[in-house]
Order: sequence, then C-alpha cells, then structure tokens
Amino acid sequence: MLKYWELIKHLTLREIKGRYKQSFLGFFWIILNPFFQMVIMSFVFSTIMKQQGLGIPYPIFLYAGLLPWLFFSNSLGSAMNSLTSNSSLVKKIYFPREILVLATLVAKVFDFILAFIIFAILMLVFKINLSWYMLLYIPIFFLQFFFTYGLSLLLSALNLFYRDVQYLFDLVLTLWFYLTPVIYATEFFPEKYRFIFKLNPMSVFINAYRQVLFKGDFPKWESLVVGLLISLGLYLVSHRLFKKMEGTFADVV
Amino acid sequence: MAEIIFNNVNKYFFLQHQKTLKELVQAIFKKQKTLERVHALKNLNFFIKKGEVVGIVGKNGAGKSTLLKLIAGVSAPTSGSLEIKEMVSPLIELGAGFHPELTGRENIFLNGVILGLKEDYIKKKFNEIVAFSEIARFIDTPIKYYSSGMYMRLAFSVAIFTDPKILLVDEILAVGDTAFQAKCLTKMNEFKDKGVTIIFVSHALETVRAFCTRVLYLKKGELMYDGEVNKGIDQYINEK
Repeated sequence: MLKYWELIKHLTLREIKGRYKQSFLGFFWIILNPFFQMVIMSFVFSTIMKQQGLGIPYPIFLYAGLLPWLFFSNSLGSAMNSLTSNSSLVKKIYFPREILVLATLVAKVFDFILAFIIFAILMLVFKINLSWYMLLYIPIFFLQFFFTYGLSLLLSALNLFYRDVQYLFDLVLTLWFYLTPVIYATEFFPEKYRFIFKLNPMSVFINAYRQVLFKGDFPKWESLVVGLLISLGLYLVSHRLFKKMEGTFADVV
Repeated sequence: MAEIIFNNVNKYFFLQHQKTLKELVQAIFKKQKTLERVHALKNLNFFIKKGEVVGIVGKNGAGKSTLLKLIAGVSAPTSGSLEIKEMVSPLIELGAGFHPELTGRENIFLNGVILGLKEDYIKKKFNEIVAFSEIARFIDTPIKYYSSGMYMRLAFSVAIFTDPKILLVDEILAVGDTAFQAKCLTKMNEFKDKGVTIIFVSHALETVRAFCTRVLYLKKGELMYDGEVNKGIDQYINEK
C-alpha cells in the first residue's frame, strides 16, 4: 500500500476539491450541516434529557456523539459507491481496489476535522475543562476509522454486485443510530440491556470519546478491547472477501 | 523471450440476471434463473514476444476486451495460468479519473498518478505535457469548460508520457477528429519503433493491416487464427 501513497493522496484530493469547488457554500455546508443537526436535536431532546444528570450541557454532550456518528454514516454512504462511481478505472487500470475505498474515507476525515473545529469552539464556550486525557481522542478515532474501513470494504464490494445494498443498509443505519448512545447516555437504559452497547463498536467509541473529553479520565479499556477485537475481526474477514472478489470487479461493474 | 504467456486460460463470467437484491429475492421465489455462467474465453494458449505488435480482431462479444482486461490485470482468469513478465502500462484509457471540476493542471497530476507515474516525474515533464497538448492558455481552467477536442488532447498528452513496456490499446483511434487520430498513430509508430510490445484491439481492419505484425482472431471466445496479419483478417472477413 505504501507504494501507492501518491495515488491515495491524489484520489483523496480529487474527492475533496471536487466537492468543495462545486459551490462556494459547499465548504460551509460541511461545517454547518452537523451544527444545525445538533441545534435541532438539542431543541427536541434537551427537556427529556435534563432529568438524566449528564453533568454537562446537553448540546455539547449530543455534539460529541453526533460528530463521530455522522463521520461513520457519511463515510459508509460514500464508500459504498466508491467502486461503482469509478467504474472506468475499475474496468481499465489495475491498482489495489481498496485504494478507492480508502481515498473516499480519508476525504471524509477532512470533513470531520472541519466540523470538529466548531465543536472545539463550542467546548470552550461551554467552559469544558481541558485535560491531557483529551489527546486520547485521536487513537480512539483511529480505531473508529479502522472499524469503518473494514465495514466499507465489505459493503462496497457487495454493492457492486447488487446495487440496492446501499438502500438496504440505509435502513440498517437508521436502526443502528437509535441503538447507539448519540442522543442519549447509556445510563438511560436498564442494566440488563446494556450488553447491546458493549457489542456495538460505535457505542464503544462514542462512550470512550465522552469519557476522555468530559470526565477527564481514561476510557473503559475492557470496552475498547472488545471494540478493537470486533474491528479487527471485521477487517480480516472483509479484506479477505474483498481480495477474493477483486478479480471479478471489472466483469460486473 | 516471451513477455506474455497464456497457458490454457479460461475465463467464465457469471452473468447476473438481477442487478438488485429486491429482484434477486423475487427471482428466487419465482424459481427464475439468477446466475448464468458464460464461457468468455476458451482454453487460450499463445505467447507474445517483446516488440510484437499484435492486433486482436473478432466480432463484438468475441472476448477481445476480456482478453485485454486479463493482460491488464484488472480481471483474473478462472482457470489456467497467465504470465506477464514486464510492467504493463494500463490500457490507454484517455482521461482515466479526470474530474470535471478540477483544472487541467490538477487533472494532469491526477491522471498521471493513476497511470502509474511518479509525482516528481510529472512535475519535471509538466511543461512538455502542456506544450504537447497545445492548451497552455486554459491549463488553470476547470476542464468542464473544455471542448471535447481539448479534453482529448490533454488526456492523450498525459498518456504518451507514460513509458510503457507493454501497451494495450482498445479502440483508441475511434475517438477524436482526423488530425488527432493521425497524431495518435504517429505516436504509436514511435512506440513500435522503440520496441514496445503493443496489443491492439480494433474494428478498423485497415489500420490493423497497416500497423500490426501479427493477428489473433477470436470467435466466441475461441482462438480461430494466430499468425500472419493478412491471412487472419481475410479469414475473419470470410467468416463474417
């Protein structure tokens, strides 16, 4: 893969520039879209959530979960189409196909960083205490990226064979969103149902982000290890399947 | 020295009758056919030596493009073995990966890297590439504003600055105006003189006659003729 880093770089740049050049607003849209979603959801849910004793203002709590979730769902949405929308490349030129998936995801990281800037400003406005534990956000994000990449490999390949996999997965994502503590805290649920969150990597990551940002503490290691193992297993299976099917991509695209 | 060796190569496609899961589920309930095996290339045995210029002729669906895909490495053979000794330049796909919103300059880098060039090399050759394309004035304009002629010139200019050992050409001469086609042919002759192995797929039989040193005639995935150019083309015309 290292040998192809220039290719990854230019495909990523194409993705980013192509999008931002389309409209002047494009640039702001990426930042404003998650922000407005947060504002709207805050209005809707803040009264219900007041009783929960989160310890921090609800908008900040929500935003901390919403940003990584949006990164996850936007990434999957684009990555699923990364092979079909580059059909001319897939048909004619050989390079490892996972590069197309990877470049799409890296472009999404760029969006994420832009949107994160607003979040950082908001944290200052709401006077969240800064701590060194916050730096742990970065390795957790890498882990989330890895999980997203594994899932993207699998879904992008499947979507090449059956084009409605993406619509089906949109439904799954909607359900997944409500099973992930984005708008609520896990403590909201009775103890006996909380195992769902332990097995859901997205929930593990979002809880870990909140832990390092707001509690000034280490994340729960045992949960992170489960998240890591699931991500690793998913990646190994997906990558294998992807590589096995790669030789037929050019025939079906 | 053989550069490309086909050893009992077979290629099957699975023709999908349903493009979506929705249709697939319906088809399974109705007990309709879902996948159909298509034998696209049948037991191919041949080798191509360095410097040969091989024309591949045959009707649509005979397997010509599939053959090129195998050599390019984008598609894998179902059985048999395929050896490629040299780096294959991608099929000349003019403007592979071009993005309409990006400028000519940005697209040169993008396209070049996709074709396997190094960024440093493109930087060094940048002025030459632009000079060859004759669109220096518009190099910082998004290519969506280019005419199709300008687009082709830009794409072709990048393509010829790759330094291929094996060149795969699929119907490239079908595009562009006469002047552009002539330019393509001149450049291909230059490659030929340099000893580049060229594999050429075309329906333009006269070009194949003039340009190639050997012809492969495919019919329904089978190799019907392999050898002298005129004989191969005559056989193809007779059987059409």
